[in-house]
Amino acid sequence: MLTGSALWYLSRATGVVSIVLLTIVVVMGVITAGRRRPQGSSATVAMGVHRWLSLGMLVFLAAHIVTAIIDGYVSISWWAILVPFISDYEPLLVGFGAIGIDLLIVVVLTSYLRHRIPERLWRGVHWASYGMWVVAIVHGFMFGTTDQPVLRLVTLACGVIGGLFASWRVAVSFGDRERRSQISVQEWS
Amino acid sequence: MTDIVELLQTAGLTGRGGAAFSSAIKVKAARENKARLIVNACDGEVGAAKDAWVVEHHLPELLEGVELVTGGRRNAKTLFAAHRDSKTARRFADAGLRVLETPERYVSSEETSLISLAHGGQARPMAKRAPFVFGGRDSQGKRIRPTVVLNAETLLRVSQINRYGADWFRSFGTTAEPGPRLVAVGGHVERRGVYEAEAGLRLTSVLAMAGGLAPDIEYVGVGGMGGVLLTAEEVRSATWDGPGMKRFGGSMGPGLITVWNPRDCPVEVATRMIAFGAGESAGQCGPCMFGLPALSRDWIAFSENSNRETHWHLVRRLGQFSGGRGACGHPEGVVRFAQSALRVLGAELAKHADNSCTKAGGRSYAKLA
Repeated sequence: MLTGSALWYLSRATGVVSIVLLTIVVVMGVITAGRRRPQGSSATVAMGVHRWLSLGMLVFLAAHIVTAIIDGYVSISWWAILVPFISDYEPLLVGFGAIGIDLLIVVVLTSYLRHRIPERLWRGVHWASYGMWVVAIVHGFMFGTTDQPVLRLVTLACGVIGGLFASWRVAVSFGDRERRSQISVQEWS
Repeated sequence: MTDIVELLQTAGLTGRGGAAFSSAIKVKAARENKARLIVNACDGEVGAAKDAWVVEHHLPELLEGVELVTGGRRNAKTLFAAHRDSKTARRFADAGLRVLETPERYVSSEETSLISLAHGGQARPMAKRAPFVFGGRDSQGKRIRPTVVLNAETLLRVSQINRYGADWFRSFGTTAEPGPRLVAVGGHVERRGVYEAEAGLRLTSVLAMAGGLAPDIEYVGVGGMGGVLLTAEEVRSATWDGPGMKRFGGSMGPGLITVWNPRDCPVEVATRMIAFGAGESAGQCGPCMFGLPALSRDWIAFSENSNRETHWHLVRRLGQFSGGRGACGHPEGVVRFAQSALRVLGAELAKHADNSCTKAGGRSYAKLA
């Protein structure tokens, strides 16, 4: 049986690993979505890492949640995993985590059903990944205890790297959008 | 009534809109899926005229073909597609038919564009994951009901095969490409018009119906903007059939031949064709909306200043499209034309670049005028 402090450390560790893996998954997704001509083995690698690492991350995330609750040092109910802002302990910050979990569930489910649902539904839901990543970063950063600066720095680095890739995504799709809107105002019906 | 699908199979009718796909297979699928029929009479290709001709002279037979394909199904709601405000659209309307008015532009006349338009969408091509005769979804996930698009001439041939039989049909053309087929001959000829031809004729015999190839003719386009350019010498030795046209990278396509005016600078004409093709992109796929304008720029750069570098840029650009880029055939068509123009116009391009071209639209012509 793990002692209380071991569970606490395990929860912290799996949390920070989850955020790192999640950031890698998001970055791979951003690269795949942003490149105009994804081709060659690098595209396959980016897509493969995106798909499989996202599932790998779930293991760490599950461990993070379970250890945080059964640790019992702070009071978090099982319902608080899914329903935001009902936790006794830090309702706001745990709530961000819960929002992230909710979004993650729909993103994963729609991705499994991708070939059975309209593409635009999958795509629309997949946009929620950005929101999920942001709340996860906020959740991780705000929980980073002051005596553990490394945890905070890792989360901060994830935030910066993810932010840079997201800006790159906006920049490259600008040309696309501009040309598309130029053409779509022409007579087409 | 003998089964029309079997009859079409025996006759070997293929689509006359350009793709030359087996009409029997298409009609069979359309019947099995109770697909809605859209008659394509848009004449979408540059220089096309035969759809309008069929509607003007053979509307009753065309409607008979429609009946045969839809199996006389009540509530078939067949649509008749023609460019907005065209004579053909008016003829359809006057006959009390349901007209699908299409914007007068190149890619809007393509079959999936018509299907999209018929579903209340824009007349822009859709990606075909499976033929829309089975129904499906557009790229946005909107449901598309089973729909089949047949060219106006194809339906005319369906009714003729039903009336006169497969043997009659096979008495025209070659074994591989049987049947009579219309050709629109335009450009610098005595009698522009639509003529009954068949595969296996000499290309000069087809042109002879329009008054023949004048001795000063230098270039002849086959298939319009998505087709190829031939020299007059090549035309004199070519046969009008699939293999004969494939020698030059082309096909019989939607059945049209354009004789280029020898007084016009062919480089300028080709430049305008390529620029037109680039401007007709529906803005949906990268290779089309960015690649074609880039191709147009590279073509102009090479035609104005031909050196190793501009030539290399153009050839590399053309190579980027290999393997059929984009979801529809539009980029491929423009590139096919540009490639054939580059092959055929070598000497003209050199003259054009060093300003010694004196033809109308040529570079020094512009200075003199």
